[in-house]
Amino acid sequence: MPPEFIQALQDMALPTALRESAIVFPVVLSLHLAGMGLFGGMILMTDLRLLGIAMTKRPVSEVVNGLRPWKHLGLTLTATCGILILWSKVAIYYPNPYLRIKLALFVAIIIHALVFRGVYRNVGQLDRAPAIPGKAKAAAVLSLVLWISVLTAGRWIGYWEPTKPVVPVAQVN
Amino acid sequence: MALFLAYDPSTNPLNTNEWAFPVCEVLHILGFAVAIATINMVDIRLMGIGLKKESAADLWKDTFPWTLGGLALVLISGPLIFSSDPNMYLRNQSFRFKLTMLAIALVYNYTVHRWAALSGKSGSVGFTVGLLSVLLWVSVIFGGIFIAFV
Repeated sequence: MPPEFIQALQDMALPTALRESAIVFPVVLSLHLAGMGLFGGMILMTDLRLLGIAMTKRPVSEVVNGLRPWKHLGLTLTATCGILILWSKVAIYYPNPYLRIKLALFVAIIIHALVFRGVYRNVGQLDRAPAIPGKAKAAAVLSLVLWISVLTAGRWIGYWEPTKPVVPVAQVN
Repeated sequence: MALFLAYDPSTNPLNTNEWAFPVCEVLHILGFAVAIATINMVDIRLMGIGLKKESAADLWKDTFPWTLGGLALVLISGPLIFSSDPNMYLRNQSFRFKLTMLAIALVYNYTVHRWAALSGKSGSVGFTVGLLSVLLWVSVIFGGIFIAFV
């Protein structure tokens, strides 16, 4: 994307106000993390149930269907805050390779949702199955790997610094 | 306190290794995501707003080891992060707030919250106990983030 466009996006009123606020910016960041805290772990619990590791006393459908609306609420909260954080400093984040990795992982998560839609939609079948089929287990393992990768890439965004252009010695003084 | 004042963190691997600190942060977030989400599952049931197919007592029992595991991860990675710069953290108002709320939240979780879950409290008692739990844990997260902003 052209750098002028990225800069103009960052210079809009809302992201500028957010970026320059000493209170609202950390509040949005805290809500981004609160979304992960309150609801992110439910993704792991869903996948661990599919793998037969967690909450095995409960039917698969009960865990998956019961947690679904709360995961959606959490995703809405976390994504909204994430988009606001990105928008407020988009010209700074844009060249960051870990941001690009994180966005690519989101594309992979959307593909994962489309490919394995049947597993999560028809979860009642798993209650009656003698064992959890391989496809459901593959969905769970991939989901765990993708979301933990998103978390890792997200944290790494904060540690990347652009390589500084070499300033000739004569210009330093 | 004196112990921390005399401590020189410059040789701490968390400060000399490029990866160690962010890895601890990722484990910290992963740990609290598991711990707080599993606690929140019981809260949702106590508040009567979801997960109604299972009793609060059963939810407490089913999530118990995962809450404990998540908390263990948090309570290992947290002190490691703290060790990277103890004096800064001890002076930081937000860190002090966070630790106070964490202590309250932990005690609350294994007393009031546990009692309400195991005795299957509902109605206004269940709602209040669940809501307080959510607010306590969210305040711990806010305290953690604001360490970098005060």
